[in-house]
Amino acid sequence: MDTNRRTVLKAGAAAAAMGAPHVARAQTKPARQVRFVPHGDLRVLDPIWTTANMSAYHGAMIYDTLFGVDVNMRPQPQMVQTHTVSDNRLTHTFVLRDGLKWHDGTPVTARDCVASIRRWQAKDGAGQHLFERVTDTPVVDDRTFRIVLKEPYGLVLDALAKTSTPLCFMMKAEIAATDPGTQITKHIGSGPFRFVEGEYRPGSRVVYERNPDYVPRGEPASGIAGGKRVLLDRVVWDIIPDAQTAASALMSGEIEFFEVPPIDILPALGAAPGVKIEVFNQLGNVGYCRLNHLHPPFNNVLARRAAQLAISQEDFLRAAIGNAQYYKTCGSNFTCGSPMGVEDGAEVLMMGAPMAQRQARARQLLKEAGYNNEPIVVLHATDIHIMNQAALVIAQNLRQVGMNVQLAASDWGGVVTRRSNQNPPAQGGWNVFFTWGGGNATSSPINLFGHAATGRKAWFGWPENARHEQLRNEWAAAADVAARRKVAQAMNRNMLEYVHDVKLGQWVAPVAYRSDRIRGLLPVPEVVPFWNVERFA
Amino acid sequence: MIAYVIRRLLATIPVMAIVGVFVFLLLHLAPGDPAAIIAGDNATEQNIAAIRTRLGLDRPLIEQFGSWVWAIAHGDLGVSMFSNLPVTTLVLQRAQPTISLTVTTLLVAVTIAITIGVLAAWKAGTLVDRVVMGFAVLGFSVPVFVVGYLLVYVFALQLRWLPVQGYVPIEQGLWPWARNLILPSLALGLAYVALIARITRASMLEVLAEDYIRTAHAKGVATVPVLLRHALKNAAVPIVTVIGIGVALLISGVVITESVFNIPGVGRLVVDAIARRDYPIIQGVMILFAGVYVLVNLCVDIVYTFLDPRIRY
Repeated sequence: MDTNRRTVLKAGAAAAAMGAPHVARAQTKPARQVRFVPHGDLRVLDPIWTTANMSAYHGAMIYDTLFGVDVNMRPQPQMVQTHTVSDNRLTHTFVLRDGLKWHDGTPVTARDCVASIRRWQAKDGAGQHLFERVTDTPVVDDRTFRIVLKEPYGLVLDALAKTSTPLCFMMKAEIAATDPGTQITKHIGSGPFRFVEGEYRPGSRVVYERNPDYVPRGEPASGIAGGKRVLLDRVVWDIIPDAQTAASALMSGEIEFFEVPPIDILPALGAAPGVKIEVFNQLGNVGYCRLNHLHPPFNNVLARRAAQLAISQEDFLRAAIGNAQYYKTCGSNFTCGSPMGVEDGAEVLMMGAPMAQRQARARQLLKEAGYNNEPIVVLHATDIHIMNQAALVIAQNLRQVGMNVQLAASDWGGVVTRRSNQNPPAQGGWNVFFTWGGGNATSSPINLFGHAATGRKAWFGWPENARHEQLRNEWAAAADVAARRKVAQAMNRNMLEYVHDVKLGQWVAPVAYRSDRIRGLLPVPEVVPFWNVERFA
Repeated sequence: MIAYVIRRLLATIPVMAIVGVFVFLLLHLAPGDPAAIIAGDNATEQNIAAIRTRLGLDRPLIEQFGSWVWAIAHGDLGVSMFSNLPVTTLVLQRAQPTISLTVTTLLVAVTIAITIGVLAAWKAGTLVDRVVMGFAVLGFSVPVFVVGYLLVYVFALQLRWLPVQGYVPIEQGLWPWARNLILPSLALGLAYVALIARITRASMLEVLAEDYIRTAHAKGVATVPVLLRHALKNAAVPIVTVIGIGVALLISGVVITESVFNIPGVGRLVVDAIARRDYPIIQGVMILFAGVYVLVNLCVDIVYTFLDPRIRY
């Protein structure tokens, strides 16, 4: 057959025509679908194996929890029908709701739940704290199991309901039997959505579909508690690494929900028709600067106090967040605005005093600490905006009081590796690094591993303080919120005294979504729920 | 010729071996611990150590290298440390978007560049020539992401003709596939238009000054056949060389375009993998890239023999 311009054109037209039905299908969106751009990529599908937030988001889609915290951060039953405590407060009995099913259609049993709790506690700080007091977890029948304690413990439900990572997700017993150090390979939950494994493209797309067997509780949705009414057929996570592109996609209507638009893009997004900016997680994030307690100069409490005075929350927040509408300074180690957000002892921070006065006091403390100009290595993650700004501000603040600061620049991956090095700074270790945590996790002295002060067994920075550990135990044993708050007051005073770390204030991250298409988004700290969300246009 | 091709193909083995050794050593000697990144921010040191052991990262470097080479020799590029998926699967998932973007960009770039390059040479010294060369300077000077955002602003947000982002597989229809590639191809192609147009113009100017061109004109051959059949064919060797380099540059250079237009290609796969130290992906993709580079160069060398019969291997 001769090939000429005309036959080529004909072939092209035929190919285009063959594509036409596909075009029609591609343009017909499922009626109840939401496209969501999360803050990061879902790289690990096991929300117990890793503490990464994106894995917790994934977990909240497909798994359910025994308890969930409501909007007031109080634990409420979720998969559990009834929970009773023995008179001596040592035996907690849990009865599961009737009719709970896994995504493969098999019933959820008490045996599954015990196996899941045991795997979770091996990886979770709060779980480990609880299980130090657990003597047994007997299964009574298909729907009933117990947690038996050797001493009363006030945080059993809080630990099972917490939203900081890793959450206590329920999995099938054979899946939960996987070694906690190994990633699970089957993703069968009992939660409101099912994971569509065939459409999973790491770094690009994650798809969930409605679990038709899910039976929500009767109560209205509140936090991650209450009735998880599934009003969507599909939820598609589009991983868009470029914030400007995600913002444009939201404005053009290609996506419905953008989790973390950068603050500087908000004015443009807010002006776009149909786009709404809202703050759902009011506790937001807490910045903290970890000082290395193992090596000079910050193995000396006077040098730590000097750093605490020298580092300015306001300087950091202005540089990193910029818009005062979204940040605030805070004198609490437990998140201002949370039930434990006490600021007792914060006067040592001299937050109201002029910077020059604080710096003069810091210089004096540094002199008393015997600081002799040794280099102070500040880990500097240059690839994350907030981290980059934080390191630069911290370095400048410390230099202003006479510290010899060396910035060790790398990407975040480099910082994550180096921060675990307990050697002296000259041998690959470090003195200072910055990070941030969720305001909700930070509000609990137990849930956040960073609150531990157990020396070399503690989180990076390795603070050690016996009184702090004693107070943490008292806090965990306290019977109610009022009693815990009282312990938190003493704890905050003590933490500021020995300088556990240096808090750098709080900020919230607004979300942006198409209010002309979806409604019912729930304010939940640290996960993004899609139950209760409705696509109406 | 066949012996030459076989020799060149065999030569890819030591090239890829050297690339493999360098990539492996650079990755493992550079700071970064995938276990710490996998474990997440709230992880304990014990959790991180357990993951490190599970991934085999606590084994001696030489042992890890040996295992990797053994697997590669058996066609196994390994498994992603994060997603647990085979590297081959991940690369195949990403190959179509990258190949589509590369091919459409080259088509756009070569078509426009050769046309305006020939035009500029033919009209050398005139306003047309100056406009073409000005455009070429602009193409080189403006970064891809700036062009990308401008195109998005005009054609996607203001005129609403084309989508902002994303990739539609060709199986879902020719037009949806092409529609999502127009803006990225234009953005990415601009620099290559500039590069190829300048080389085309320079090469054409040299050939147009040759005696046989004057002879062709004297014989009464029309301008277009002179330009295309006599001049362009003889000016083609340097142009093909630049296109070949362009293909190699495109493969590594698409990452910014893939990010700006949210195209899930191989470039983004490898950059994400570098950020989180997913060694098997980085090593596997680098080996593949090395192979593609060698093959592209081989193709360019073979094309030379068709353009210039004097070239023999």
